[in-house]
Amino acid sequence: MTATIDLQKSHSPATNGGGFLRRLNFGTGIIFGIIGALLGYFLPHHFFDNQGSAFADQCTVISAVGWVIGFWFGIGALAGPFKWFLGWDQTHADEMYLAGKDQGKKRYWKYCTDHKVVGVQYLVLAMVLLGAGGILAMLIRTDLISPGSHFVNQQVYNSFLSLHGMLMIISLIIAVAGPWGNFVMPIQCGARDMAFPRLNALSLWTVVAAAVPLLTTLFIGGIQDGWTTYAPISIQTGIGMNTFAIAIITFVISTTVAGVNTVCTIMTMRTTGMSLDRLPIFTWASLIGGALGLYAMPFFATAMTMTILDRSAGTSFFSADSGGTGWLWENMFWLMGHPEVYVILIPAVGALLEIATVFSRKPLFSYKTAIGGMAGIAGLSILVWAHHMFTTGWAPQLGGPFMLTTELISIPTGIIFLVAVGTIWRGNLWMKTPMIWLMGFIANFIIGGVTGIYLSDIPVDNTMHGTMFVVAHFHYVFVGSVLFGAIGAVYFWFPKISGRFLDEKMGRISFWLAFIGVQVTFLAMFVSGLRGMPRRYASYQAIFEHTNVISTIGAYTIMAGMLVSLANIILSWRSGEPSGPNPWHSKTLEWLVPTPVPLENFEVLPVIESDPYTYGEKEGARA
Amino acid sequence: MTKNNSNKFSLKPFLVIWAVLTAIGIWISIKGTPWLMEKSASHQMHMAILTVIVFSVAAAPVAAGIYAVQIYALAKWRYKGEGVPPDAEPLRNNVKAVSAWIGVSALLTTFLLIWGLAALASDDNVSGPNPMTVNVTGQQWMWSFQYPIAETLLHHNVESNILVIPVNNQANFNVTSVDVTHGFWVPSLGVKVDANPGTVTTLSVVPNKPGWYDIRCVELCGLNHSAMITKAHVVSDKEFLTWLKEQPASPAAITTSVKN
Repeated sequence: MTATIDLQKSHSPATNGGGFLRRLNFGTGIIFGIIGALLGYFLPHHFFDNQGSAFADQCTVISAVGWVIGFWFGIGALAGPFKWFLGWDQTHADEMYLAGKDQGKKRYWKYCTDHKVVGVQYLVLAMVLLGAGGILAMLIRTDLISPGSHFVNQQVYNSFLSLHGMLMIISLIIAVAGPWGNFVMPIQCGARDMAFPRLNALSLWTVVAAAVPLLTTLFIGGIQDGWTTYAPISIQTGIGMNTFAIAIITFVISTTVAGVNTVCTIMTMRTTGMSLDRLPIFTWASLIGGALGLYAMPFFATAMTMTILDRSAGTSFFSADSGGTGWLWENMFWLMGHPEVYVILIPAVGALLEIATVFSRKPLFSYKTAIGGMAGIAGLSILVWAHHMFTTGWAPQLGGPFMLTTELISIPTGIIFLVAVGTIWRGNLWMKTPMIWLMGFIANFIIGGVTGIYLSDIPVDNTMHGTMFVVAHFHYVFVGSVLFGAIGAVYFWFPKISGRFLDEKMGRISFWLAFIGVQVTFLAMFVSGLRGMPRRYASYQAIFEHTNVISTIGAYTIMAGMLVSLANIILSWRSGEPSGPNPWHSKTLEWLVPTPVPLENFEVLPVIESDPYTYGEKEGARA
Repeated sequence: MTKNNSNKFSLKPFLVIWAVLTAIGIWISIKGTPWLMEKSASHQMHMAILTVIVFSVAAAPVAAGIYAVQIYALAKWRYKGEGVPPDAEPLRNNVKAVSAWIGVSALLTTFLLIWGLAALASDDNVSGPNPMTVNVTGQQWMWSFQYPIAETLLHHNVESNILVIPVNNQANFNVTSVDVTHGFWVPSLGVKVDANPGTVTTLSVVPNKPGWYDIRCVELCGLNHSAMITKAHVVSDKEFLTWLKEQPASPAAITTSVKN
């Protein structure tokens, strides 16, 4: 009986929960979010007379949580569970509506389950967050243009550098895995969508939900403790720390949901014949990066929860006065912090290896070694966290073992270089912009990698730790390598999302500005560090002036390069040269479907008979 | 598809590029490092500079190799025609190259590790005559140094805001903080350890050159972090004793001082 009823229901053209639930969008998300935040702030004031010393902290936390829940409700993230709770099933029409069928550009402002829409939303969101972090970087560098500059006061400077760090980490985590892990990866697998389309939309809008309290931090006094928020200064600093912490916890919900979705999609949604040894290398990178994120990111949410409890509920996880220790924070932070570097790096490497094969017109060199290299990096990366703590005084006996694991990472990292070089080797190098960014990546990653080896060595780290040398080192990795990879990926896959090329000339100008800017900024910053300038100094001794001025000039150059690429994306999206479905003559599946890619991607799911790197080999019968 | 167009690789020009780049790298490593880095006034700093030089020399051929391939590839293998280049000759794998690459990087890593462990051991075993303890306390945003030796010699506390230690004698620092985490760093002595509230961390160093050196906080500690700098003065034994006797008796231990 029941079955018959259900059958009738799902066939009926009528939809369940139409009307209001269908009208939810980004605007209603903001409105409900603000209502949630206001309720969270004023309700405690209304109901509690006895306002203890931590009351401001408690109210900020509740308010930030109210924002997140309100935003989720307003964007429609809770509509699915809500309907399920009421016993309404989603009809096919409901699901098509959720996927944005026939809604034109409006779907980009909605809780849309189409993975391609989510990918584009991620691309725009990553650019917005990178822009915000980039503006802060320029403000920081402007303040450092002279030794005692008071362009901003020290409190604002500390807030800027804390927010710059966190914004950039978040935007780089989503810069490659967000747009292309969503837009490209399911098509590369031969899937019609992600395994959990609604969770996919949830992961995207949860980043938005996290970004707002994160930016709010700046306007409610900022934080004084850097993006690493070491305890106990994180307990001492102002109420901005609460919104910062809620932003992190919210962001971790997003990465966890996205990680589960990525892993499940790749493990279960591959088309016939797409065995794991035929999977495109970018999909492998998404799998490894996603799985690593699942391990790493929850540490951050846990540690931030403990910080909130220490601040507002009288616990003492990190306070030495009552039995806690800041070393606990440092361990939990870096248990997240080091794998997270590779959560950022590995998808970028995957994208660049795709670029290397297509633009060298050769198969990927030593495919299985490449996978082994990425997996080896991921595996080792969870065993190296305490190299960030060599000089904290915690467990000096563990220095040797952590030096060992850290230096071992240079072996799988070397493999990535070998695969890139082997793929380029004797190829017909088609020097289009994606390939140019790849070349820049390789050159910069050498410097980022080698300087990491110095820092892994304890006697050297004893002088280098906490200096501008470290800052220059990880900026060579994050800006010179990951950001170059992310931009290369945009130049590569942009024709697929828009049907248009990005302008070559602007791409080259952008590359050279960014490439020269990176060398000028960060080589000078290495020198600042070697000469003894600590990081996070708002003012510095006169001996560091020359190198800081050079770094500031370099930083402006990088910004100019980024603006050229931004203008390129905006202009080309409107009026770029039409590209057709497969402008690079690539063989991965995303290029073999039409542009624009139809909803559910494939009319008939393809059957796969070889990996997609058969350049110069006999054509396999691919779909 | 057009037929395979295979690019040639000739070893000689490649080796020339590689050799030149390696030579430049090694020259910068040996000549540049001591010029760029803080001057050494202790064994630890000496080891740090030496290690940077050795690692740079070891890394130079590797980095130069990658750069040489890039330069060679851009010069010789760039497709100059119009449109999509034809497919190149496929190269799926080369077991010898992969094994050699992994073997060489494993050997290099082993070397780095052995060097590092040996340098670490020599740093940890630093010892000199007349070991003297100095209690270092960080607080927002200043350093203070207490000399327990004054209680023995002069029967009163001595506390100072600059660090004065005798040259060629062993100084043992007990480092702590009264508020948040600070980082105690004397760049020229090549030693650094965090000052954690509620815990004492230790450092030993034998300064081997008299002079004035900087002390800087290297752990973000709030508003005036960048102003948390002071001086270290390394002096002769005699000067040290004179200085110590000139210091006024400090009324109380620093740990009772009021937080800023």
